Amino acid sequence: MNRSGNKWALLAISLVFAVIYLFPLYWMYITSVKSQSEVFATPPTFWPHSTDFGIYATVWVRRAVPSYMWNSLVIASGVTAITVFLGTGLAYVLARHRNIWIDVGLFAVLMLQVLPASVMVTPLFVAFNQLGLLEWPRTAVILGASAKAMPFFVVLVRATFMTVPRELEEAALVDGNSRPGAFFSIVLPLARNGVLVCAILTFMSAFGEYVYAKSIIQEPGLQPASVGLQSFLGPNTKDWNSIMAYSAMYVTPILGLFVLLQRRIVSGLTSGALK
Amino acid sequence: MDGIGFDIALATLSLAFLLALAGVPLLYNVLMSFQQVDMFSLGSLIRPWAGLDNYRAILAQPEFGLVMRNTAIFVIGSITGQFVLGFGLALYFNQNFPGSSTIRGLFLVSWVMPGLVVGAIWSFILAGDFGVLNALLQMTGIIDEPIFWKSNPALSLYAVIIANIWLGLAFNMLLLSVGLASIPRDLYEAAELDGATRWQRFYTITLPMMRSTIGAVLSLGLIGTMQQFDLFPAITEGGPANTSNVAQFWAWQMSFKLYDFAKGATISVMMLVLVLIASVVYVRSTRSEVRG
Repeated sequence: MNRSGNKWALLAISLVFAVIYLFPLYWMYITSVKSQSEVFATPPTFWPHSTDFGIYATVWVRRAVPSYMWNSLVIASGVTAITVFLGTGLAYVLARHRNIWIDVGLFAVLMLQVLPASVMVTPLFVAFNQLGLLEWPRTAVILGASAKAMPFFVVLVRATFMTVPRELEEAALVDGNSRPGAFFSIVLPLARNGVLVCAILTFMSAFGEYVYAKSIIQEPGLQPASVGLQSFLGPNTKDWNSIMAYSAMYVTPILGLFVLLQRRIVSGLTSGALK
Repeated sequence: MDGIGFDIALATLSLAFLLALAGVPLLYNVLMSFQQVDMFSLGSLIRPWAGLDNYRAILAQPEFGLVMRNTAIFVIGSITGQFVLGFGLALYFNQNFPGSSTIRGLFLVSWVMPGLVVGAIWSFILAGDFGVLNALLQMTGIIDEPIFWKSNPALSLYAVIIANIWLGLAFNMLLLSVGLASIPRDLYEAAELDGATRWQRFYTITLPMMRSTIGAVLSLGLIGTMQQFDLFPAITEGGPANTSNVAQFWAWQMSFKLYDFAKGATISVMMLVLVLIASVVYVRSTRSEVRG
């Protein structure tokens, strides 16, 4: 039997699987540059006869893409900052100690991880309304989404901290470092990569956040790109090349980031979520 | 250990944040489901007590049965599809061939994409008159007439399920791959020497060794499916006539379309009970790994 030939056959079939799976992405990009009439052609063309990149400029202006993208960026940055700032410390403590309180804390974090945003949004909205926080809707969304993102971040980052040998930290303490000193100068630098990957994952998911933003932010000028996309997605829409162009502009930065960091993201995810 | 105060400070700060923005709202939700909430009492904490009235009202809604049935179909259909296809691909990519881990990693793009974008793309793919799925099915002769996935009441729910399977498949595959990789190779070699067939090896080695992984993946699938929201506003908006509506979208509609926050809270509480059951299974099946 030809074993190496067998391997190339396996590779070829796996590429076919990947092409089928990634077809929706291809279809998004290819539809966005088709002319309006070609979009509705039956049967559809799998390679466009004529391309029109002008749609991107049109959608960019007419659909206020810069404003929507800016708001997505603000929300994602805010969520990531809060999550990393508060989550890293919690993950570290949960990784370092073993007692009944840690077990309780860990259980609480795992339970919070499963709460659906659509369940949490009703009480959050009513409470924010009572506290007057709806005056600053983006801040309100950032706070709610951070609480949603943090448990997953903590579970993943905790797994990273578990891999940092305790002895290194104890040696630093013996050398006269304070406990915070050992944390910031020894443990954190060693766990840097893992924390960074989890921060990027948090950023990506907050960049696509929809439920909280749709429910809490009423003013179009403050809404993120997910809400902007939904606003022209009605059930009877015909404007598919514009929608696909908008989607492409929205998703391409994330795809770029993903392709750059694919290997790290995959290993970061697998170490924490499950082993 | 000296300087334990530092650790306590770190943990307290974050736990206080989580308590304020997740724990308290959760309890507040339960409280609201027993209160009368309307535009006048929205701003006050003490509202007229409603007892079980909200729950009775939800059960009496004409669409209650339909939505519950849809939720069950959505959850079971999505999990089955994600798991079976994810497991199949995980087994395939577990074979040793060049580029296997890189190509497998590519699948994960679906997981980092905004849900609304995934929904928009699938909404176009599934369109009845000019959608590419219908075109492909007609070209290959599987169907003669175009299928109106989104507007046919019998199919609208399945339109969302198809998109959700695509979305969740990669994550299932990744987690199952990790489980497969941890099974020692020599177990298979020994079984092969003893003359076990491929199916026997799968049934007597792979499945038993993967038991805790499968438990965790299925309960994560249940949790993820109950959290899935973005595809509904993007593809069907729950329609036509609630035929693709599920509990999580219905709860949101009650609060933010009809401004009936008490009913929204009530549906959420009912859903929560289900999610908590799933999460107990999940916590139990990951406990050994997570606690290290």
